[in-house]
Amino acid sequence: MRRMGWLFLAVLIGSLAWAQTPMRGGTLQIAVDSSPAGLDPHVATAFATFVVIGNIYEGLTEVDEGLRVRPALAESWKVSPDGLTYTFKLRSGVIFHNGQAFDAKDVVASFNRVRDPKTGSPLASRFNLVKEVRANGPQEVVFELSQPFSPFLSELAGLSIVPSEYVAGGGDLQRRAVGTGPFQFKEWVPDTYIQLERNPRYWRQGRPYLDALRFNIVPDAATRQIGISSGTYHFLPNIDPSLAVTLRNAPGVRLYQTQDLAYSLVGMNVSRKPFDNPKVREALNYAIDRRALVQAVYFGNGVPGGPLSPALKGWASPTSAFPCYNTNPAKARELLRQAGYPGGVDFTILTLGSVKTVVDAAQVLQAQLAAAGFRAKIEILELGKFVQEWRNSNFDAFASLNGGSADPDGYLYRTFSTGGSTNVFKYSDARVDQLLNQGRIATTLDARRRIYAELQVKLACQGPIAHLVYGTLFSAAREGVQGFKPVPTRSLLYLRDTWLAR
Amino acid sequence: MFAYTLRRLLDLVLVLFGVSVLVFLMIRLIPGDAVQIMLGANTEITPDRLEALREKLGLNKPLLAQYWDWLTGVLRGDLGQSVWTGAPIREEIFARLPLTLELTVLSLAFGVLLSIPIGVLSAYWRNSMGEYLVRLVAIAGVTVPSFWLGTLFIYLSFKLWPGFPAIGYVPLAEDPVGHFQRLLFPVLALSLPLLAGLSRLLRSTLLDILGQDYIRTARSKGLSERIVMYKHALRNALIPLVTVVGIQAGYLFGGAIVVEQVFALPGMGRLIVGAINERNYPLVQGTILLVTAGFVFINLLVDLAYAYLDPRVEYA
Repeated sequence: MRRMGWLFLAVLIGSLAWAQTPMRGGTLQIAVDSSPAGLDPHVATAFATFVVIGNIYEGLTEVDEGLRVRPALAESWKVSPDGLTYTFKLRSGVIFHNGQAFDAKDVVASFNRVRDPKTGSPLASRFNLVKEVRANGPQEVVFELSQPFSPFLSELAGLSIVPSEYVAGGGDLQRRAVGTGPFQFKEWVPDTYIQLERNPRYWRQGRPYLDALRFNIVPDAATRQIGISSGTYHFLPNIDPSLAVTLRNAPGVRLYQTQDLAYSLVGMNVSRKPFDNPKVREALNYAIDRRALVQAVYFGNGVPGGPLSPALKGWASPTSAFPCYNTNPAKARELLRQAGYPGGVDFTILTLGSVKTVVDAAQVLQAQLAAAGFRAKIEILELGKFVQEWRNSNFDAFASLNGGSADPDGYLYRTFSTGGSTNVFKYSDARVDQLLNQGRIATTLDARRRIYAELQVKLACQGPIAHLVYGTLFSAAREGVQGFKPVPTRSLLYLRDTWLAR
Repeated sequence: MFAYTLRRLLDLVLVLFGVSVLVFLMIRLIPGDAVQIMLGANTEITPDRLEALREKLGLNKPLLAQYWDWLTGVLRGDLGQSVWTGAPIREEIFARLPLTLELTVLSLAFGVLLSIPIGVLSAYWRNSMGEYLVRLVAIAGVTVPSFWLGTLFIYLSFKLWPGFPAIGYVPLAEDPVGHFQRLLFPVLALSLPLLAGLSRLLRSTLLDILGQDYIRTARSKGLSERIVMYKHALRNALIPLVTVVGIQAGYLFGGAIVVEQVFALPGMGRLIVGAINERNYPLVQGTILLVTAGFVFINLLVDLAYAYLDPRVEYA
């Protein structure tokens, strides 16, 4: 009997091993909700674009599922002791999809294209500490920085390398993407699908396994849900928690999940009453019950979190580090009284009508805040009006959803530094500025961790943002889809390792 | 008839001019800086980038000059370029228009052709059990929106008929059978409300007409009930039907927008919704102008048909 058991186990292990041997071929039918608005990796701001072109382009580095920086088109790199010079050794034998060989001049040209104001790239400001880029022979590129910038390697993952000759020859990257990645652009039928094909000359031997990726553009969530349940589609990347809940028990469908980098928040205008008073901001934090928000808005799929996503392991402080995260309406009232508002405060929360989780969060918040003396009026705006008010800092408070980054600097610098490009709160604090700059300059991991730990505590309770919830990021796949790993940055990096069992 | 047609054509030109002004202004009067909105929230935007985009779109020119540039372009058949992809808008529209027209025409044909027998029969059998049932279905058909019907059809086909391709799109030239299979449910979703509305209208018009003096005269002459119904009653009952069909054709176009979303069909509706979501203003202008022109043109056809069917109609 015992022997039978062992035999059974051996057969089981054997068949599992067989099941996990990747198979070549097949087209992965993916359903996405919106159509990309152009494919140029240096101009795009829409997430719909990155989901597609992330399979076509590569950077010098890449960020993996644990948010670690890994070599990609750069094989290795050296950083000078003063942190000012980065020397990259480039991978040899890499060929662009149009047949052009990849070398150092493509890196220089891509970088200069991003920096050229005529390109109008939203990436430009991420690299404004770079003084000079030069090719040191075909296989080596040197970046000279004007001051040390620790997040540099992780930022480089977002800089897609485009073929210099194709661009100089008038190639149209918005409509025809040409990169070095595992899949190459085949066809784009607007609002129908984008088809990518296996790059037969890809430098990672044997990858990708799939013959093709087809991004079907399916705007209706119910249609995507039925599509994956019926097997019409194999894969739905980065879906809403509500759709994930519906698909959780669907036969033949499997959910992947990871911690999202994006977070919901309430932003406060510190140049206006009542939020000019740090005590009022602290009181607001005490008034919020973040666990209830996770349940009500995210169906339990998320965690309360401070200024950094818990996905940034080793960086994000536990919420126990923030005393104001212990919901306490009485304490909130007390703080309001100390701030000179014994009768409570009235204010307006602007929200974007098109993002359902945000509207839901605002409504739950309204009720929570009322218990502590905050009388919030919710004003739901159309995108145009919202962006205008947001940019012009014309609000008491707003509820919104912000994207994240693989490095703490990406979360904090532009948001909280004095005059930062998305500091619409008019927040300015000398110590915060000092820490933010030190966080960029510090070259040792330990030093940076200490700095960001202090920053998080400082920002969590009295900063201009009340951080609410980091949701769970879900993707759904048919059972035959193997080898995929979700990445908190929402990139589909691991489609190159994905295969279809038939 | 000739003078009437000419005057209606002149009206058409005036209406289209008015529409062009409205479409043009509407986009410029939307609250917020169009360029900032196009670039969206939460991205880092430098003044350089704003200025570059403003120049590219010609938004740095005076309003009148912008309108003149656009209008002369439109008259030459040049609707401009899509902001993000740089593709000519005319091409984008011509790639999408056929599918939406196909959806509209098929739904219209299906709805009209079936509504006539149903309307006639329910007028015949009025107040019978079967007629009550038809009326009940018709009321449901009028009130249930197409997109809900669409989702219901997709769901039912998945449950009852798992292999049936209910979602997506295949061009006619590539696979004719697959093409029409995928259009079946969208056409049903669009035409059922139309069918319900038209047959109800036809029933009540017929009942009204059947009570008129000239029908009694026809009957007293000893004509068969069949002749009375088809030659005398139905012909007159079709006049209001034509008007309603004309109006409905416009609504069908609107319904197609929603149904295209549900069934993931790449028609004009998706193009317009996408253009609005992406803040692709030149594309929004071009598509709305074209759709309005279509609407106005259908109205013209209806008016002409009306004048033909009922000689009493004249230009007042």
